Amino acid sequence: MAADERTALTAALDRLWIQYLPLMQERVEILEAAARDLAAGPIPDDRQQEAQAAAHKLAGVLGTFGLTRGTELARELEIIYSRQNNPEASLAERLSSITGEIHTIVDSRK
Amino acid sequence: MSHSILVIDDEDDIREVAALSLETVAGWQVFTANSGTQGLARAVEHQPDAILLDVMMPGMDGPTTFRELRKNPATARIPVLLLTAKVQSSDQRRFADLGVEAILLKPFDPLTLSTQIASVLGWK
Repeated sequence: MAADERTALTAALDRLWIQYLPLMQERVEILEAAARDLAAGPIPDDRQQEAQAAAHKLAGVLGTFGLTRGTELARELEIIYSRQNNPEASLAERLSSITGEIHTIVDSRK
Repeated sequence: MSHSILVIDDEDDIREVAALSLETVAGWQVFTANSGTQGLARAVEHQPDAILLDVMMPGMDGPTTFRELRKNPATARIPVLLLTAKVQSSDQRRFADLGVEAILLKPFDPLTLSTQIASVLGWK
């Protein structure tokens, strides 16, 4: 691939990132709300499934925009939400920490 | 030689990045569909050289879409590559049993996606 084609692709990806940043942030907000609510007690199954879906989507896309660590963290969340029927309160802190890290990673991409 | 490919994915961001990558890097003609149902229609209409098919979609999911593509004589011979963020080996075995050409993992690298596809399909 020629250098100018690579530059064009990178620039186009940057434009797409800006276009889809609100969608990424919306997914992060779903995860933040789920982690916050879990800290206070059990959440309904549909909320947990919503969080699992948000984590799955972020895991699938963040690495495509170069955010490999974001994909790893989102995948960890997806696994927790898929295996635990209402993750225990003891996991709430971990969920919140991972979600916060994803938030920072999303916000840090220019 | 230029090729054509149909990208079926319900996620707008993934679909657009894949299309951008395949057009920009490989120069292929890219058609897109945002659901399995729309994908079946576009496959008949455009007769692409290959189909890149997302697994998890609302309504008709990837495996169901694949089986429908195989049932229709107009699309039965089009090579299909599954695209999935499911990394567990049990999922991968289940998808491989469908008879698709390959299973590609999300996230993909936009710089090398076309190379991966071309390699699987033996495209120069």
